[in-house]
Amino acid sequence: MEAFLATPVGVLALTVAQAMALLVPLLIGVAYLTWAERKVLAAMQLRKGPNVVGPFGLLQPFADAIKMLMKETIIPAGASRVLFILAPMITFMLAMLAWAVIPVNDGWAIADINVGILYLFAISSLGVYGIIIAGWASNSKYAFLGALRSAAQMVSYEVSMGFVIVTVLLCVGSLNLTEIVRAQADMWFIIPLFPMFVIMFISALAETNRAPFDLPEGESELVAGFFVEYSSMSFALFFLGEYANMILMSALITILFLGGWYAPFDIAPFTWIPGPMWFVFKICFCLFVFIWVRATFPRYRYDQLMRLGWKVFLPFSLVWLVITAAALKLFGWLPGAV
Amino acid sequence: MLNWTLALPEIVLGVSGLFILLGGVIPKKESFFPVSMAVIGALILAAVLVLGQGEGTAFLGQYVADNFSRFAKVLILLGAALGLLLALDFNEKAGLGRFEYPVLMLFATLGMMVMVSANDLMSLYIGLELLSLSLYVIAAFDRDNPRSAEAGLKYFVLGALASGLLLYGASLVYGFAGTTNFDRLADALSGDDVGTGVVVGLVFVLAGLAFKVSAVPFHMWTPDVYEGAPTPVTAFFATAPKVAAIALLMHVLIGPFGDLSAQWMQVIWVCSAGSMILGAFAAIGQRNIKRLMAYSSIGHVGYALMGLAVANDTGYRGVLVYMAIYVVMNLGTFAVLIAMRRRGRALEQVEDLAGLGKTDPAMALWMAVFMFSMAGIPPLAGFFGKLYVFLAAVQGGFWTLAVIGIVTSVIASYYYLRIVKVMYFDAAPDGALDARPASLTVVMASTGLLTLLFFLFPAALIGAAQVAVASLAG
Amino acid sequence: MIAAAAFYLFAAVLIAAAVMVVTSRNPVHSVLFLILAFFNAAALFLLAGAEFLAMILVIVYVGAVAVLFLFVVMMLDVDFAKLREGFQRYAPVGGVVGAILLLELLLVFGTWQFASDAAGFRLNPAPAGVDNTRALGRILYTDFVWLFQLSGLILLVAMIGAIVLTLRGKTSTKRQDIAKQVARSGSVNLRQPALGAGLGAIGIERPPVEPPPGEKPRQVEHAGHGHDHGHGGHH
Repeated sequence: MEAFLATPVGVLALTVAQAMALLVPLLIGVAYLTWAERKVLAAMQLRKGPNVVGPFGLLQPFADAIKMLMKETIIPAGASRVLFILAPMITFMLAMLAWAVIPVNDGWAIADINVGILYLFAISSLGVYGIIIAGWASNSKYAFLGALRSAAQMVSYEVSMGFVIVTVLLCVGSLNLTEIVRAQADMWFIIPLFPMFVIMFISALAETNRAPFDLPEGESELVAGFFVEYSSMSFALFFLGEYANMILMSALITILFLGGWYAPFDIAPFTWIPGPMWFVFKICFCLFVFIWVRATFPRYRYDQLMRLGWKVFLPFSLVWLVITAAALKLFGWLPGAV
Repeated sequence: MLNWTLALPEIVLGVSGLFILLGGVIPKKESFFPVSMAVIGALILAAVLVLGQGEGTAFLGQYVADNFSRFAKVLILLGAALGLLLALDFNEKAGLGRFEYPVLMLFATLGMMVMVSANDLMSLYIGLELLSLSLYVIAAFDRDNPRSAEAGLKYFVLGALASGLLLYGASLVYGFAGTTNFDRLADALSGDDVGTGVVVGLVFVLAGLAFKVSAVPFHMWTPDVYEGAPTPVTAFFATAPKVAAIALLMHVLIGPFGDLSAQWMQVIWVCSAGSMILGAFAAIGQRNIKRLMAYSSIGHVGYALMGLAVANDTGYRGVLVYMAIYVVMNLGTFAVLIAMRRRGRALEQVEDLAGLGKTDPAMALWMAVFMFSMAGIPPLAGFFGKLYVFLAAVQGGFWTLAVIGIVTSVIASYYYLRIVKVMYFDAAPDGALDARPASLTVVMASTGLLTLLFFLFPAALIGAAQVAVASLAG
Repeated sequence: MIAAAAFYLFAAVLIAAAVMVVTSRNPVHSVLFLILAFFNAAALFLLAGAEFLAMILVIVYVGAVAVLFLFVVMMLDVDFAKLREGFQRYAPVGGVVGAILLLELLLVFGTWQFASDAAGFRLNPAPAGVDNTRALGRILYTDFVWLFQLSGLILLVAMIGAIVLTLRGKTSTKRQDIAKQVARSGSVNLRQPALGAGLGAIGIERPPVEPPPGEKPRQVEHAGHGHDHGHGGHH
């Protein structure tokens, strides 16, 4: 066995197996996230939510999936065919790709690379391509407007997100995700860096085009925004991609601020639960807040969105970055200081 | 090791620039005047710091401070401060009174100081870009005027091309010598077997720098940009950046490429002769006085380069003296041009000066002083500037160049004297010029007196230039 | 072996993509190929062990610069046929210039030789045991801090320039003053009027609107209200 794993084929097989072990639960999670969202929204709006297919509507996601698969794929006249098909694939693929570096537990990452956080940031900054290509390739005004909105919005919020990440990096002294979590063994970064956590969370909402920042698909003005022309499986890929991105962003927040796989307190009942479970709990908590926000807040106006990003978050995160750096230096807390 | 305190003038200037910018952005109302005053204050502060600056290299040899850089920097800071003074009134009247103007001038000045102190091809390039980028913007500062926008765009496109050439040359030099540091380049290039690659690289670097000083084969942008840009911007273009670029050219050629002087002397020779000839002939037909000044400045650069082409200490000293006098004369001339305003409208034609001798004898007198000085008539300052470079050329055996210089200055004096003639002998077409603001009078009188009385105390400037050159060659 | 194969794969795709950038007819496709080229360049960086540069290339160029490129190209209606009109005319001139440059380069590189002590001048590679992010950081923020800060100033000047040349203070648009809006909240009275009573019953009276003489009062469209479609319809 050991010998086999050392051969190139073995390495390949192992990697595929690891990827499967991560992706299959992830995809099931995505499916049930759509169900959970409907259930939570329903509860908040005093409705029942899906309750017909299976007990508590638990089979609803599969019913939806089958429905999607059975439908006809429509490609609009005048659309750029290749790009039209490619766009949802890009969105979905990127959402999966990022998981390669996520550490679910100490040492449980498929690729524990040195620049893991940059990799995540890079992948999340690519998410805009799926949307912008979809909007352009559809040859439709609504879709294009949605794509433009989304491009401006995602680029804007990435800036402050970058500063948040840099602030965390300052406290860790490494770009490796496992190291970032390990640095939170004693205290989660949400406590000292709470304002940055808030900025990160709101930027994550904007990054994933979720309410109240869902202007790219703003149905009241743009019908459905960038995916108005999509149907069937290509639509489903966008749909799943968005939810997978939500999970990814929650994982990122968990790693950066909520102490990854660590239990909240290092004492008996908490330590019985294994690390990966904590990791999943924390992701679920973030996802719940994502849905809660959607149920609670009205949609932002576009100029307000831009104002918030550039005139509030960017200066604030810059100032906080400087404060953090100064504090670390003054109190001699800089990690890895030579 | 980093020795960063050596670069204090630049650091102080840069940081005060940031604060001044902040002070300009935050208030709701326009703050052109206070910001300009603050910038002039910062420039003076920097000049004081430069005078007290030590000598040596900093930032691992990327920055050098010596008597040469001190001479050039003081001249640059003086030119920039007076240049900004010229803009105060004009910009308010032309609707260009926005606080970004002085701030951009400050950053341009910082770029010039970095250039002058560059001891590495990289810091050279960075300084040059900081200067150029600021200049592109202020050339187009009058954005609603198509000519100004055109000037900015033209300058930008050609300037980017020149930067490309410079970078290409620098990369070739780096590729062949393996270093970008000037001192180590000088070591690497001291042997006899210097490859063709370095020479090709050197020529590209020269081309890039010749563009910045607007020497002849690379002068095409000058008339259009000088004409299109607002007049105070033209005044600025014609003074401080020229000094910085010439100083940089000297520093690069004498320092790292000093042992290749046989190669670059020919190039400079051609540039110098071409600039003198073009400056003399092309200016004759010009009606627009800013365009005329553009050709005049090309000619002056030609005279300055003559000292460089000689490639000895006397020549280098001549260049520095020439540039110092050139800056003073030009600032004065532009002060007169900026004061040309009748019933609120700015004037730019030579004919608009007609009758100035009667309507405003003081200004006409200063203008006459500047024009005679530019023509090189003794005993005015301009004469001494020319004298020192011609002397160097003759001593160095560059007879052809000296003869070209003398002939062209005789030709050039035609158009300088024509302006004097227009002022004193032509009838005024319609009335006097508007009353000029005090700031212009100050600049005119101070530069005029310097030009007029230079012959009484030439030793101070020449001594300073001598010291500067000694540190450069030594 | 695998690394070499990967290198050739990425390099080949990179070159092919770069060629497509120049030759493709649709500018949007050009930009997309440019992005592909960036990706492969990043992959080559990775193979060379420069993981930090690879990621930065993706974040900065693909994630930000190319998005703006794409943005602009999609919005502009570039007529490529028209752009290529001058191509035939200028091709000979360009060709000659290119040929001369090429010839010169050949001449130069034909006699390529390093200066005798060039090797000694070259900067030392990163010390062992330091990952390349850290090594780059040391070089950027310590050795070249002077140039780094000045580059920052250049970017600042570029920003000031862009603002100076394009920003026009708009006087026609209404500005939102959020502080004012928030501060206002106390001045709004909510009252529960008796059912069936008109506005007049609780003392709220609208000033009578005098129609200008000789002009028919404008018909005010009765805005539909109460048809709130509620939330939902997200997908």
